[in-house]
Amino acid sequence: MPVLRILLKRNRFWVMAAVVAALASNMSQIFYIFLIGDLVNKIEGRQAIESSFVALICIFMLSNALTLYVDQYVGRITAEKMAHSLRMAYARRLVKRAAGEGNACDAGAVMSVAQNELAQADAYLGNTFFQITGKAFSGVLVLIFLLFQDALLTMTLLIPTIFILFYVVWSGRRLSAMVNAAQDEKNRMNRVAYGTIHAFPVIRIFGGEDLSRKAFDAAITRWVRPASGLGRRSALYNTLSGIVSMIPLLLLLLAGSGMVIEGHIMLGTLIVFLNLQKSLTQFVMNLPSWLSGFRVFTANLSRIEIM
Amino acid sequence: MIRLDNVSFYYEKQPVLNHVSLFVKKGQKLGVLGESGCGKSTLLKLMAGLCRPSSGTVTVDGESEPARICQKVSVVMQTPMLLPMTIRENITMGHEYTEEWIRHVCEEANLTKWIDTLPKGIDTYLGDRSDELSGGQAQRVAIARAMCKDAGILLLDEPTSALDPENAAAVLEALERYAKNRTLVHVTHRPEHLKAYDIVMNMDEL
Repeated sequence: MPVLRILLKRNRFWVMAAVVAALASNMSQIFYIFLIGDLVNKIEGRQAIESSFVALICIFMLSNALTLYVDQYVGRITAEKMAHSLRMAYARRLVKRAAGEGNACDAGAVMSVAQNELAQADAYLGNTFFQITGKAFSGVLVLIFLLFQDALLTMTLLIPTIFILFYVVWSGRRLSAMVNAAQDEKNRMNRVAYGTIHAFPVIRIFGGEDLSRKAFDAAITRWVRPASGLGRRSALYNTLSGIVSMIPLLLLLLAGSGMVIEGHIMLGTLIVFLNLQKSLTQFVMNLPSWLSGFRVFTANLSRIEIM
Repeated sequence: MIRLDNVSFYYEKQPVLNHVSLFVKKGQKLGVLGESGCGKSTLLKLMAGLCRPSSGTVTVDGESEPARICQKVSVVMQTPMLLPMTIRENITMGHEYTEEWIRHVCEEANLTKWIDTLPKGIDTYLGDRSDELSGGQAQRVAIARAMCKDAGILLLDEPTSALDPENAAAVLEALERYAKNRTLVHVTHRPEHLKAYDIVMNMDEL
């Protein structure tokens, strides 16, 4: 990942700012939810609620909104700065290479080779990179925080999530194999279409219209089978994924309410868990797709080789 | 018989052929010489019915409609233009021929030896193997296709330009043997290929 490292280094001020903003936003959210839980505990324990405590909740509520805004704002600026560095470095290299070789056509050729990777890396930086970083931050912080709140309840949430993670990996691999099969057939269909266009004079002179139509029909039929199979299987796996993703929440509700009734934890703690569980489960369940997206991103960067 | 009467052809308003007239009798051999870009391939395309003249008339065996001209001729192009199908389909183009006839044209095109080495023989799918084919093998399949149609007129557009001299000589020999009693039009930039031709037309002098 030398290119990514250079990009991070060149924009270290903005990267640091984005990291601090993400940290502040997540900490603020956790403390806000923690205070809400504490408020519920105080109401449940019939304790007096001081005005300074309510003021603190209000401050954290505002700071939560503010830090979330700053986090998104700084994240987007940082992503744009990095994407800009990437584009400019690429343009510099392109100009240098074209001038060095004294061949203007070469610039176009080089551009067309790398522009796809550049566009994808650019889009990933702009739309995904800092979102994922923020969610990963949030996931880790929430996990640590919840472990301190109640380790048993955290495990009740975490263990089924890990099983779901395995399911996500398994279904992802199955779908990936089917995507490849569908892609192969699509490529074959494209080859038939390209061959037909390329060989049009020959088809016309030798009366091969029926043959090429039959070949194209057969290629479409061969492509439709894995493509529709992929759609069906994808719908099935995603529906199942949606259903099983509710299991951690149901277990949390079941075990947590039991613990509240038994008096092991207070209602406020359960509310904290219910509010924060999504950050943890989404982080764990989306980990494989984030990692694969990151792998594609770094592969695109390494192919660009700009700096 | 091929007749061109005062034929002109414009490509995007640029003249490619200007008032060309010629007549090739049945069984005659016409050689067309000229440098790249002089319009000799366009001339061949007009004779093959692949395009319509901007003005003038092209008549091939009594037909002047391009779609009907196509039925009268057989062509070997510079590039073999193989389809991503089997060798058999590339030769027959989906038409019914007897096994003997297909075998005969394969032999005439010097294909038999190579086809016999393939596990599926003539039914080998070329789509995934087109990169493995040599230029000579691919062009021989194109020649077998041209022979299989058994048309009275054979049009050749520099069929050996992409081949090494050894392959080129073998391909030309096979084509000239096949065209013995047929009308032949051979477009090339190499005069030595046109020694035994009845008419040689130099496009650069038009």
